[in-house]
Amino acid sequence: MLSEPGHYDYMPWRRRPKITWPNGARIAFWVAPNIEHYELDPPPNARRMPWTRPQPDVLGYSWRDYGNRVGFWRMADVMARHGVRGSVSLNVAVCDHYPEIIERCCTLDWELFSHGTYNTRYFYGMTEDQQRAVIRENRETIKRASGQALDGWLTPAISNDETTQHLLAEEGIKYTLDMLHDDQPTPIKVRSGHLISIPYSLEINDVPLLAMRNTPPERFAAICKAQFDQLYEEGTESGTVMCMPLHPFLIGQPHRISALDDVLRHVVAHDKVWLATGREIAAWYTKDHLAEAQNWIAAGTP
Amino acid sequence: MKGLPEDYLQYPARRRGMDHAIYPFRALPNARPVTWPNGAHVALCIAVHMGHFPMDMPLKPFIAPGGMERPYPSYWDYTLRDYGNRIGVYRLMQSLAARKLPATALLSAVLAQRYPALMDDLAAAQWEIACAGLDMGRLHHSGVPRDEERATIQEAAGLLRARFGTAVRGWHSPAHSESSHTLRLVAESGFSFTTGWANDDMPYVMTTEAGRLVCMPLSQDLSDQRMLHQQHLATEDFTNAILTAHETLDREAQETDSGRILVVPITPWLMGVPHRIRAFNAMLDGIMARGNIWPATMGQIADHWVAQNT
Repeated sequence: MLSEPGHYDYMPWRRRPKITWPNGARIAFWVAPNIEHYELDPPPNARRMPWTRPQPDVLGYSWRDYGNRVGFWRMADVMARHGVRGSVSLNVAVCDHYPEIIERCCTLDWELFSHGTYNTRYFYGMTEDQQRAVIRENRETIKRASGQALDGWLTPAISNDETTQHLLAEEGIKYTLDMLHDDQPTPIKVRSGHLISIPYSLEINDVPLLAMRNTPPERFAAICKAQFDQLYEEGTESGTVMCMPLHPFLIGQPHRISALDDVLRHVVAHDKVWLATGREIAAWYTKDHLAEAQNWIAAGTP
Repeated sequence: MKGLPEDYLQYPARRRGMDHAIYPFRALPNARPVTWPNGAHVALCIAVHMGHFPMDMPLKPFIAPGGMERPYPSYWDYTLRDYGNRIGVYRLMQSLAARKLPATALLSAVLAQRYPALMDDLAAAQWEIACAGLDMGRLHHSGVPRDEERATIQEAAGLLRARFGTAVRGWHSPAHSESSHTLRLVAESGFSFTTGWANDDMPYVMTTEAGRLVCMPLSQDLSDQRMLHQQHLATEDFTNAILTAHETLDREAQETDSGRILVVPITPWLMGVPHRIRAFNAMLDGIMARGNIWPATMGQIADHWVAQNT
């Protein structure tokens, strides 16, 4: 067993090389809707059961299914109204099950990246070849359904195994979201190839907040706005990243959708915000700031 | 039916006072009054839980708060805790420095090896360093053989003293968990105070086979780990609770003419995240606005208490 991921170096939150974003923005703000399919009758995994109740878990299944039937459409409308694009953390089987959803995402000029095939197929215990096969198939499916390249990755339920990040780099993935160690992009160390991390979030993610921590919608909005305000302020020193991960089955509920509206209205009312996609953040950081960060680490983070 | 064994209804430790010999009972109204510098009502101690959580940490006999709750390899749990030591603690340092408030770090000793740059920044911030064991995977409990526990404590003390010298004289057992040998082994390793027993607002003396330890207050009931991580309460529920505790302690100090102590137990991976740091700052400002505080490290408070209680 590994005592740590071993994929990143210590980078104290002071005197880092300054990150600048396009047009003098202080913060790169990106929204990552998790568009998922949880299978009605998935196979078991030794490290995690897909459902908490015996299958079929009708309540669990239908709650998630609500996201694709109802929540997604409501969420997408609110985002479009504020001019905020999504970077979709996509269970790519959605391309086969619900092409209507993919079509809507493409119309809105959203990025699609992979969140595995199904959210009920964990990476725990897969061989490297099995993982590679999933990554390659996901790339082909996204290409076929949208014409887009596959640049980003979030392992389903963050179920990555010890070598997953190495395989992502070897398969040409450009950015990973499996690590939550920072408020800025960072270099990721892999055995071959290149990979960076850009900030995802489990702090302002609607699953931990709404489903696990019992947060009412108004407080959810206040937390998101507080997160934004702090990172916007800190962005005067060096550019920060705020990711807002969403799950349509939660945020797309009629009693919660106004909280999303409230947060996005707050964000777009600021002028030094770069409304980006994951791919755009990764490309900008890799081009302008990655080498500088690596040099700073090599110099001992003076 | 056979029932329970005979001795189940015998009570060998039933007597006036405690059911052990570690410390005598003391009711708060009977504690000797203490005065703090400048006649302050309340000594303010910011206690920062700086733990390192190994991704392969054992999950038995229990998982320390913040430990790996998801299947191995839990990047989720590991990287969120590590965030505290990369980013969150720097926000806390900035908030406290801006208000000239000292702090006491309850530090996993392996961090001295892992993150020397962080140690330099803690030293520059003049935080007191107390030893919180080796890391959050090396818990102290009755299942650990005594020699192994002694070696763990000595290794942890050695790591921190190699970097910070004799200033390391406070001990906190990770996750407030101890074996029946821990206090003796801690005293044996040259620590003068310990913190983690949640039974008092004021210091008291513990007696071990290896000498005395001053036990400093440290709440788990009123901590961000319990309220935010375990109970899932709102940030403001915690910060308001701290302000209410301060109000009560300040009033008691005036009524009893004795100083009180407000320990604020905080955790970088919780209180140092962007969406909470402003509430933390507002809480500090609220404490300072009440006035009559003596901001101090845990060691300084222990010294003042000992000087008036021997």
